[in-house]
Amino acid sequence: MSLLEISNLTKSFGGILAVNEVSFSVNNGEIIAVIGPNGAGKTTLFNLMTGIYQPTGGQVLFNGNNIIGMSAHRIAGLGIARTFQNLQIFNNMTVLENVMVGRHTKSKTGLLGAIFPISRVQREEREIVEKAMKKLTLVGLANKAMVGADNLPYGRQKMLEISRAIALEPELLLLDEPAAGLNSTETRKLVKIIYKLRDQGVTIILVEHDMETVMEIADRLVVLNFGNKLAEGTPVEIQNNQEVIAAYLGEEDLVC
Amino acid sequence: MEDLKRRKRLRHSLIALFTVIIFILPFIITNNYYRSVLVIIGIYTTVVVGLCLLMGYAGQISLGHAGFYGLGAYVSGVLTSTYDVSPWIAILLGAVGTGLVAYIIGIPIFRLQGHYLALATLGLGLIIHVVMMEEVDITGGPSGLTKSIPYLSIGRFELNTDFKYYFLVWIVALAAIILANNVVHSRIGRALRSVHGSEFAAQSLGVDTGKYKLQVFTLSAIYASVAGSLYAHYITFISPSPFGLMTSIQFLVMAVVGGLASIWGPIFGVTAITLLTEGLKYIVPKMIPQAGGEYEIVVYGVILVIIMIFLPEGITSGIVNIYEGWRHRKELADVTSGDK
Repeated sequence: MSLLEISNLTKSFGGILAVNEVSFSVNNGEIIAVIGPNGAGKTTLFNLMTGIYQPTGGQVLFNGNNIIGMSAHRIAGLGIARTFQNLQIFNNMTVLENVMVGRHTKSKTGLLGAIFPISRVQREEREIVEKAMKKLTLVGLANKAMVGADNLPYGRQKMLEISRAIALEPELLLLDEPAAGLNSTETRKLVKIIYKLRDQGVTIILVEHDMETVMEIADRLVVLNFGNKLAEGTPVEIQNNQEVIAAYLGEEDLVC
Repeated sequence: MEDLKRRKRLRHSLIALFTVIIFILPFIITNNYYRSVLVIIGIYTTVVVGLCLLMGYAGQISLGHAGFYGLGAYVSGVLTSTYDVSPWIAILLGAVGTGLVAYIIGIPIFRLQGHYLALATLGLGLIIHVVMMEEVDITGGPSGLTKSIPYLSIGRFELNTDFKYYFLVWIVALAAIILANNVVHSRIGRALRSVHGSEFAAQSLGVDTGKYKLQVFTLSAIYASVAGSLYAHYITFISPSPFGLMTSIQFLVMAVVGGLASIWGPIFGVTAITLLTEGLKYIVPKMIPQAGGEYEIVVYGVILVIIMIFLPEGITSGIVNIYEGWRHRKELADVTSGDK
């Protein structure tokens, strides 16, 4: 059984089909890239999978459970974490605190425990700090733990979002344009981190425009165009797919 | 994390220092009027700490907190004066009852956001106030309870002077601050602040935003209720007038003036506004003899506008920011003077 099965997923915004009958499945341990021109529906797809939007039709099975209709926080609790195309850092918190929020579903102190922190609560708190620090170390931000998150440069904020998302210890990680705005050194670092996560058993779906990176790391690609799935296949298959080339990769070449 | 521990130690030593100051203060200030002002500041601080937790950390506004404050006062007042219930049990019942009211009413009104939520809480406060005015058989109506409310006592030790009551009120206020501080630096506190930072990201990390907003709303209502009970046993008489919209606005102004996202903000905000109000009571009749009580609202409005423009994060953060700005300029000056 595949980890994620998306079938006939549809979302319309007042008559405009942002995602139209899209189906594909993702196996455990895969790195899948979703590509397509701007406005193809990639981010909408992520928002549907994480409960930010409710779809007009179709279903999403995660580990065999239909997650459509579930609220975003419940879906996160099932083990789907994500980053955002437009950074959604908690600017009012330190770097470490950002990642500590990522441990939310893995800890259980309630309001009463928060008011009266007995030793069990304190132990859990220490554990949260330790785990969060490990995730920061993984992305190379451990030395910035106590810095206000809004003081980090853009590239590092992206890394922070990744470490915050993986603090949830997700089975499935959705990365929305992780390489956008990164310089080549940072991109190399990102690729290393993605491989490291894959080796730890995390399944990854990423939306990305940086074709070089995508073709390098993705096991399979899903190509979207105007909300429709145009093609699906290995990087080699996609690079040789005439439709994809026409619609996306090399339209200008054909015209010239 | 050494850094984390150091910050925690600093927080704890600040609280310890503050506690010492609080306990020395009534021995220095011997004037009964000033002591009574300090008691009122302690009672208001308890309410405003809860309100700051709600506004500063959960990012939700409440214009109805005088209602919860009044509920606590009336439950204590009515139960102890009319039904001879033990005052301590009455305080507890008031807290539980108010908490329940806040929770149940919170379920529908937290579906609203921003201005709509503010208006809903405003309405809630008004409804509670109307009930106090109209349920004459229970509350005595606009003229208040007819029987007097007993003083609180510990064993046979009656807390019947400002000096004695001061300690009870400030122990409660300190407990309110310490417990609120615990919440802020907990999993729940982080969840709440994350909602403030980015609601989408918070949800995508599994934070059930609605649940925590509601819980903190309930907690802040309980804070207000306990403070209301303390007020009732201090004044030993209650009528609806101190629990109206004006008081809700006053709490709000205190919270904003002090600074929302700091546990020290409430003390500064409450002290500043209470001293100002007391000062106005003294000065205004001398300057404008025919002025009614409503001039206060004009002053609050002006203060709110000034604070919002010049110190949008409140006095507490404002002072810190000004200090850091000054230090920054000084450093800059040091560096540039080295160039010469």
